[in-house]
Amino acid sequence: MHKPPIIDVQSIDKFFYTPERLQALNRVSCTVAHGEVVVIIGPSGSGKSTFLRCLNRLEYADSGHIIIDGVDILDPKCDINAIRAEVGMVFQSFNLFPHKTVLDNLTMAQMTVRGRSKKEAEAKGMALLEKVGIAEKFAAKPDQLSGGQQQRVAIARSLAMDPKIMLFDEPTSALDPEMVGEVLDVMKNLAREGMTMVVVTHEMGFAREVADRVLFMDKGEILEQGAPEHFFTAPTLERTKEFLGQIL
Amino acid sequence: MATYTGLDRPKSKLYYQFWGIAFVLGLCGAMALLYYSTKTVEYTWRWNRVPQYFIYDEKVNIRAELEGTITSIKETGTDVLVTVQGDDGEESHTLPKVSLLLSQGDYVYPGDNIGFYSQTKPGILVEGVLLTLEVSALAIVFGILLGLFTGLARISDNPALRWGAITYIELIRGSPLLVQIFLWYFVVGTVINSMLAQHGLGQISPLWFGVMALAIFTGAYTAEIVRAGIQSVHRGQMEAARSLGLTYPQAMRKVILPQAFRRILPPLAGQFISLVKDSSLLGVISIRELTKASREVVSSSLQPFEIWIVCAILYLILTFTLSMFVQYLERKAI
Repeated sequence: MHKPPIIDVQSIDKFFYTPERLQALNRVSCTVAHGEVVVIIGPSGSGKSTFLRCLNRLEYADSGHIIIDGVDILDPKCDINAIRAEVGMVFQSFNLFPHKTVLDNLTMAQMTVRGRSKKEAEAKGMALLEKVGIAEKFAAKPDQLSGGQQQRVAIARSLAMDPKIMLFDEPTSALDPEMVGEVLDVMKNLAREGMTMVVVTHEMGFAREVADRVLFMDKGEILEQGAPEHFFTAPTLERTKEFLGQIL
Repeated sequence: MATYTGLDRPKSKLYYQFWGIAFVLGLCGAMALLYYSTKTVEYTWRWNRVPQYFIYDEKVNIRAELEGTITSIKETGTDVLVTVQGDDGEESHTLPKVSLLLSQGDYVYPGDNIGFYSQTKPGILVEGVLLTLEVSALAIVFGILLGLFTGLARISDNPALRWGAITYIELIRGSPLLVQIFLWYFVVGTVINSMLAQHGLGQISPLWFGVMALAIFTGAYTAEIVRAGIQSVHRGQMEAARSLGLTYPQAMRKVILPQAFRRILPPLAGQFISLVKDSSLLGVISIRELTKASREVVSSSLQPFEIWIVCAILYLILTFTLSMFVQYLERKAI
């Protein structure tokens, strides 16, 4: 039996008023299947981050439908907090909670949202810290960690909620070059384990190696998409060629 | 000496010593000037009269309650037990031996003084300090609660809450505290107490109207401090918390407010120090806090210089303690 896509975006628009009207997303449609890894690339201001943030309603799309795991999150009656618990998000600037220790960063939402006991949440948190390779730092405060370590904690924090989908918003853009690898390794492992991932990134190597599909966005539209081997070697549009020429 | 961190060339050791001495000399000079000027107006300093307003011995007379004869005086250490035998009963009193005025066989009538004992009592200034503390502490607690709620309402999406908060803040900040105290006591107080009296209920004391006036005044300023603190926490913190599935109140309580609280501690301390000092206005509605107590002492002792200096120092002790406490909290929070 063919499973319905876990993410089904149907023709969404998003406007910003800054104060002049700016169309950030223009009739964007796209689907993501279970276990698929989709990488979104594009020049800055192309709307790729906005698109990603619409997927867990950090930005409210102005029209269209976004069906996440069968629920339309643009329906005002939907329980957005329940959806967000299923959709992990990793930010460019980590956004760890600086007043909590690393382990408390991982357990807080588990206990508050999932209603797990402290013991259960800490066991889960320690297992995930082990997985991302910084279990020894569980008692440290986030500002005592390097950027790469912080981002790995942030990934673990999202994973602690047992999400069905992980969204990554330029997870390596704020990192020193030598720390990019350790974060990408964690993400690659996650992809191999079958996590559904939508990743906005400038890491073309990661896109080539891990992505099932690459989307190219420009001026609020998805211009071209395809498997990475096709996308990087033989893009069809002139705009895509130009962009790839600039960054590769 | 701390390592020099300025942008100019490092100063020599002599530089610090010279200006250190200059500071001490300046301080001594100012005090000498004050002393000299009081001499020229022929003010007589009587610091020895000040302690009685902190602590004093009250003489309590012991009087006979019966008419009869003192039948026995038994010594027990420094005290004596005096027994009076009357026609219809017997009574006994214990009192210090030195204060005994009568002897065995004396005939007493009810109300006759047998002796006295002394009782150590806190003076009027101590009572004033305690009342100032009480009023300030109550107003700080209510002020924090009110300020927190109003600060959150101020940034709420709900227009009723937001406009309500803005109206409250602007109204309170727009009029003098003294006027607000009068309004609370003479307008609100009169209305409430008259209504209570009509229903045969007890009256609310001026203290509570004073506390309300102070709390509501402080709440308005605290609300703006709280709002600024919340808005100073990076947007990403709220986004991260919400993206994990936390509701807005959960994210506020667990992520935003703990971080905001650390940042607003210094301005909050300033606000509460102001509140302690502003409580001196409550004397106008007959709350005998420190300032009113001092005024009463001045009018009876005729020693204004000493009393007002002592009054200022007592306020300084209160505010300095509060400031130290907040600094301790700040260090602990980091």
